[in-house]
Amino acid sequence: MDPLPIKSGDNVWKDGMAKDITFIVTKDCQLACKYCYLVGKNSKERMPWSVAKQAIDYILDREYDSNFNYESVVFDFIGGEPFLEIDLIDKVCDYIKTELFRRNHHWFNSYRFSLATNGLNYNSSKVQNFIKKNLSHLSLMITIDGTQVLHDMNRIYKHSEKGSYNDVLKNVPLWLSQFPTHGTKVTISHSNIPYIHESVLHLFSLGIHEVNINCVFENVWQEGDDILLEEQLMKLADSIIDEGLYQDYTCSFFYEHLGKPMDKTLENQNWCGAGKMLSIDASGNFYPCTRFAQYSLRDKEAWIIGNIHEGLDPNKLRPFLTLDRCTQSTQKCQECEVASGCAWCQGENFDAAKTHTVFERATAICKMHKARVRANNYYWNKLYRKLEMEGKREEFEANKKNVKSEIC
Amino acid sequence: MLQYLVILLDDTSVAYCHADNPLKEHNLIPLNTLRKAILFGMKENLMIQYVYPEYELPEEYNEVIESIDHVKIGREVAVYNAVPQTITAENAVLRISIADFISKQYDIAALLPQVTRLNISLTDIETFKDEQQENYKKALATLNAVLLNLYQSDKQPQVNILTDRLQLKEMHNCGAGDTNITLAPNGKFYLCPAFYYDEKIGISNRLNHHKPSSERSVGDLEAGLKIPNQQLLKLDHAPLCRICDAYHCNRCIWLNQKLTWDNNTPSHQQCVIAHLERNAARDLQQQLGTDNFEEEAIIKPIDYIDPFDVREQF
Repeated sequence: MDPLPIKSGDNVWKDGMAKDITFIVTKDCQLACKYCYLVGKNSKERMPWSVAKQAIDYILDREYDSNFNYESVVFDFIGGEPFLEIDLIDKVCDYIKTELFRRNHHWFNSYRFSLATNGLNYNSSKVQNFIKKNLSHLSLMITIDGTQVLHDMNRIYKHSEKGSYNDVLKNVPLWLSQFPTHGTKVTISHSNIPYIHESVLHLFSLGIHEVNINCVFENVWQEGDDILLEEQLMKLADSIIDEGLYQDYTCSFFYEHLGKPMDKTLENQNWCGAGKMLSIDASGNFYPCTRFAQYSLRDKEAWIIGNIHEGLDPNKLRPFLTLDRCTQSTQKCQECEVASGCAWCQGENFDAAKTHTVFERATAICKMHKARVRANNYYWNKLYRKLEMEGKREEFEANKKNVKSEIC
Repeated sequence: MLQYLVILLDDTSVAYCHADNPLKEHNLIPLNTLRKAILFGMKENLMIQYVYPEYELPEEYNEVIESIDHVKIGREVAVYNAVPQTITAENAVLRISIADFISKQYDIAALLPQVTRLNISLTDIETFKDEQQENYKKALATLNAVLLNLYQSDKQPQVNILTDRLQLKEMHNCGAGDTNITLAPNGKFYLCPAFYYDEKIGISNRLNHHKPSSERSVGDLEAGLKIPNQQLLKLDHAPLCRICDAYHCNRCIWLNQKLTWDNNTPSHQQCVIAHLERNAARDLQQQLGTDNFEEEAIIKPIDYIDPFDVREQF
């Protein structure tokens, strides 16, 4: 995904494109989610303060370098579970703010901090103090998969295999009171397809108005999964439309511009922002995205593009910054009648590629995308017919929210 | 489409491009493997280029070698690893470091009247620094001045880095894995000799991670050629190169993989050197008079030295 536009509704964040900088603060997590793509999690690789500080200095020293000369910036903190390193994150954020001010850097007042958490220690005093201190510059998402059955099937504690649903759920009201407009992210793999309908409705019932949901890009799909996905999404479409939920809730599976042919010249942009982003690990190594760090890769060596001591190696970034849709896509994908909205993860492309390249698009998601397109067509046809019958289509179109088609 | 089969007759066959051959021990291709390689070339309609070692081959090899039309690299095409006093072969390769090319530009210029064609191959492109641009330009200008004099006296030697671009109307690159393939003494195919050398000395494989860590072959004489992601070796799958008009550039796949880790993406160093040469070729063309060239071959002025910097404009 290209760098996220900063929402204009918040005075603190300017319009425009943001540089995304990710600190991999730990590779540890309390959970061992069954679908987690991180194959190298461990409790040893924790980012030291000295590495974080040197990385910040390196980045801020290069305010007008083409790699960092973005209007705005998003500092992400990722794990494992990032809040296991709340002391470090708090110190890093304080240092960033101080340095932006001291340097009169153009990112001052045009920055945000972003975290996705499993929510287990959300109500701890350290986390709450951090949130209160940074609330106006903070994006924070708690991950809940859906119903307790589904959540506990996948999101289990690493030692006891006990489900984590109840421990997360108790923190959801506090989270929603602090971040009422924030959504959650649901990841669909083979085993949880049958739960999509009830899970999305469950998340809506918790007061979460935006459910960002996507199928994993890895090759996990089995015979019949596409039919099952289509059935679940059509059922979900019926519920959202029949119960009028579309007025207040959004589910990213339904995206109006999904499933159209794409022009090879005018719509040739890369999907993913790898290379425009920068990830830093505990050793001070730089990556084009977290998915290129060793703990994310099954079959390939990490794609390190530099480090805090020697800086970025521009040659290692060139493949990422010259990527386009058609060059990495098969002929079949280029000519696909329902190509728009079909996503890919550059890291998974690299990991699954036959050679050492980011120019070979993985297509394991193909049949799932097509199933989604069929259900999506059903959703919009049914919804617009209903709105027309009620004379509310124009009003709906004028007020509808922008939904992202896919998320990383 | 494959057109050439490069056969390394020995592990110590001469390096003729910018990658050094680090192998020191003789390992002659078995005669039976050589016969099979020739048969493969005949059936696939490939022009054969033998790469010779320094030493003389056993007599029985010569008969097999002569059984098919071919080019002898390291014999008919002489290869020099230092600037010689004189060149007797009509076609020669001069392998030289950037620093030596700059410091010995007048010695190299003096060789031009002696050759029909001189291929200059820089052996350390990866070390090129932007600060060296001016000196490299000056060295190219020195060669240009000699070429201009020779051309005006009806001698027209070719120097790959200057004169090839004068006539080209489209990319004409090394073509490893696309227009040519290399067969090593072990009976296996490689994109070019450098990939074989890397395998032999155990450099980590970034070509195919599904194979043992250092193996870099792309097939063998028994099973045939199997080049994974071969489309990425072609020009239309190289986003920077397909918009570029440094048509003479080597576009070295091995160097791409070494420096950018992707076969289809050139390094900054390769692009800058190719563009300095392209611009020097333009100077030569202007001095020779553009009336002497077809319209499509006239080299246009540009304001960049690395197409990566202007990629958004294409």
